[in-house]
Amino acid sequence: MPKTRLKIALTKGRVEQQVIPLLEQAGIDCQQLRHKQRRLIFDSKSQPYEFILAKGPDVTTFLERGAADIGIVGSDILVEHQSTQYELLDLGVGECQFVLASTQDFDPRAPRRKIIGTKYPLITKRYFDRLGQDVEIIKIEGSVELAPLTGLADAIVDITETGTTIRENQLQIYDYLQPVSTRLVVNRLALKQQATSIYQLVDRLSAVVNANAKKEVMPS
Amino acid sequence: MLSNLLPLGTRDEFGQWAATKQQLIAVIQAHFKQRGLAPIATPLLENQAVFAPYQMGNYQLYRLLDPEGQTLVLRPDMTLPIARFLSATKVPLPQKFGYVGDIFRVSRRLSGSYNQITQAGVELIGYASLKAELECLAIANQLSAELIDDDVEIELGDAQFAQQVVATLTNDPQQQAAIKTALFNKQVPQYTALIAAYQDQALYPFLQRWPRLFGQPAQVFQQLAQAPLPASVTPCLSQLKTVVAWMQTTMPAQAVSIDLSSQAPQKYYTGLTFRGFSQAGAGYLFSGGRYDQLLANFQAKSEPAVGMGLDVDLLTELALQPSSATPTAVIYFNPDQWSQAEAVLAAQPQARLSLADDRAGAMIEAQQLGATLIDLTEGTANA
Repeated sequence: MPKTRLKIALTKGRVEQQVIPLLEQAGIDCQQLRHKQRRLIFDSKSQPYEFILAKGPDVTTFLERGAADIGIVGSDILVEHQSTQYELLDLGVGECQFVLASTQDFDPRAPRRKIIGTKYPLITKRYFDRLGQDVEIIKIEGSVELAPLTGLADAIVDITETGTTIRENQLQIYDYLQPVSTRLVVNRLALKQQATSIYQLVDRLSAVVNANAKKEVMPS
Repeated sequence: MLSNLLPLGTRDEFGQWAATKQQLIAVIQAHFKQRGLAPIATPLLENQAVFAPYQMGNYQLYRLLDPEGQTLVLRPDMTLPIARFLSATKVPLPQKFGYVGDIFRVSRRLSGSYNQITQAGVELIGYASLKAELECLAIANQLSAELIDDDVEIELGDAQFAQQVVATLTNDPQQQAAIKTALFNKQVPQYTALIAAYQDQALYPFLQRWPRLFGQPAQVFQQLAQAPLPASVTPCLSQLKTVVAWMQTTMPAQAVSIDLSSQAPQKYYTGLTFRGFSQAGAGYLFSGGRYDQLLANFQAKSEPAVGMGLDVDLLTELALQPSSATPTAVIYFNPDQWSQAEAVLAAQPQARLSLADDRAGAMIEAQQLGATLIDLTEGTANA
């Protein structure tokens, strides 16, 4: 049976809150998403879109397995989970930065094998590989700032938007890694099967993103 | 650990799935035989060096050591072992092979992907003529019609097109690779940033459109005609036009598209590439193309070759029909009625012999299958 609807996996939480206004500006009815209660799946009767809400890493899994046609997810998760799907649009929201941070007495040039705490072991490994340094990586699921403060790790690699959490925990930034933002990603085969409807959505969202960027440059 | 647990990424095949898959394999093998393809089967285990040219992507190899400490792998691909076989045996060329077998690729843990995949395929080795590509396309067209009800679209591409274009932008191999990677993966934000360096060039408008350069042949060729492309791409574009025209004449009902913005299925491809997909499938049903350097990994002399692999598991998923292999009748009989039972069985394609010793057992068997009971003992002494 040919597919007639686009299934969009949206990362729940902050990404969801930042992306819903963009979707609405692009003319997509998000009333069900705005009044979701505890539901996780939303099938619009008036538009050819079905939304599912999922955690970021699961969005990549839905996409990889073809259970969703489109994913909206942070570039941090796409890199860390080695997404092989098509990344068609930077939505210009959720912008933040990977940083290397630690306590004030940390010496990044100290000649020894450092211990690094992070939620992103792959990105961390690639960063230190580029520097030619072998490090011990400890995977931490949350409150990564605790790692250098408790002596669990020498430093952390984490994402930060404003640096406030890092500063409030008496840490300082030693290096900036790649920037992060929310991306629209498309399953490789879905793009072939539903190219017209996917590109219609991408172009509408792209116009919204560009218009918003211009507003930020030229505030009224 | 429980002794009845399966390793991650594997599965047992039984019942409807196994019946459908075996039926598809029988159709594929009959088709290969009818076309004069020689059957070939290579070992599951190969030396790791055989797969040096193979791009694993996000997959890993299953590796093990032989008693001498050499690394062996479960084959992740069927084409390179055939190239190894040809190089080692000096079998005279040209040859046409058809195969069905399992390949092994370790996917991301707990991703829901299976690591053992059944692939059928065709290898036409020693043929430089475009006729080799056309025969593969004919097989793809005929087999997809025989195997599944869904309409299949065949997408044509060329393994050299992207390299020929990026070579006109820069001599830096790293920059060329970065542009191609961003293009092939349609990492549009990154690709847009990379091509910004060439916005003064006449080719820039084409570069901007390139990630979307796929679709109906007429539209793609129209876009290509407007672009100041290097002369080096002319042969591959001419060949694509020839193949599209041939398909439109020879198989007019076949949906065909062109994609010049995607990567060839493997890095050993050198010319025309093709893939097939249906609207319902979650992956490509088949892929193939020309790889004229295939034997170069094993010997000094290269040989022209064209091949194609079909994903038998995905075809099975699409072909799966509910309950077509469930027996509709169970035949109960006494041992001295064996010949009579065989005659009834031969006349009833979806019946099976009950091996129960009594009628009650046969009745239970029939009830479990939802089948009717044919009782040949009625009226006999043991009934």
